[in-house]
Amino acid sequence: MSVDNDTSRSEDALKRAMRRQPAPDGFADRVLARVAEQSSTESGPARRDSWWRVFSQPLVRWGTAGALAAALIAGGLHYHQVQHDKVERERAQGEAAKQQLMLALRIASSKLQLAKSKVNEINADQTENREEKE
Amino acid sequence: MAEPLPAENAADIAEPDFAEIVRRHQAMVYSIALHFLADRSAAEELAQDVLLQLHANLASLKSDDHVKFWLRKVTGHRCIDFKRRRGLPQVALDDVPECAVPAKDGDPLLSRRLRQLVASLPEKPRLVVILRYQEDMAAEEISNMLAMPVATVKSHLQRSLAMLREKMTRTLGEVKI
Repeated sequence: MSVDNDTSRSEDALKRAMRRQPAPDGFADRVLARVAEQSSTESGPARRDSWWRVFSQPLVRWGTAGALAAALIAGGLHYHQVQHDKVERERAQGEAAKQQLMLALRIASSKLQLAKSKVNEINADQTENREEKE
Repeated sequence: MAEPLPAENAADIAEPDFAEIVRRHQAMVYSIALHFLADRSAAEELAQDVLLQLHANLASLKSDDHVKFWLRKVTGHRCIDFKRRRGLPQVALDDVPECAVPAKDGDPLLSRRLRQLVASLPEKPRLVVILRYQEDMAAEEISNMLAMPVATVKSHLQRSLAMLREKMTRTLGEVKI
């Protein structure tokens, strides 16, 4: 009981000691003067604030987010298409090179066959001449 | 019921309306700063800064209760920041200014001594004591405002009260609070 009384007396004394003090004379006027001064010198940030206020509207915010998402998706698809075209072009070029190589090999092969048959003919002629002399 | 602000947001608040808000809350903001810092000029500087910040943030505040909550919270945090930044020394017992308004009841000497002792408490307990006894806030409200567990708020209050009572008894002898 005595402890409760002590606590209550202490709290009452603290409440009396800590009660609000009035602000100094002219305090509000000084605050308002600083606000006016700030408003006149900071028109830039104020303009930024007004843009931010527009942007802070939910419709504008969601619209911007949607546009950004659509731009990202479109960009991704375009990149994918460009990469795909590049791979296709490289594959076609490779195929053409392969065809040219095959043609060159075929030509070289036919020329070799021709040379071989000529050599065979010459060898056969020389053998016949030798037999006739003997 | 929460009293609505004079206008929807800061852009719509005319200067006379903001002046009314300043006049309504200036004593609260100034007193929290004064009791915390125990320095009239520092308290005025801090209170002005808080009210300028309020002007810039009015768009996000929807009612007078919200404004009051915001002001108490920002003033409290700014007091702690101010003290840490300026590295103000621990308040000497004779430095605490006299009360501008004479006490209606109770011992003015005792009240002055109590303010001196409160100003010498560590930062967080000091803020908790000021919010509890100046602003008459409940422990739950203080806990919500300072993002501090209720048990911590109650512990700060109990320990601060015990310490204040002990120091008062030690310095004033038989005088009991």
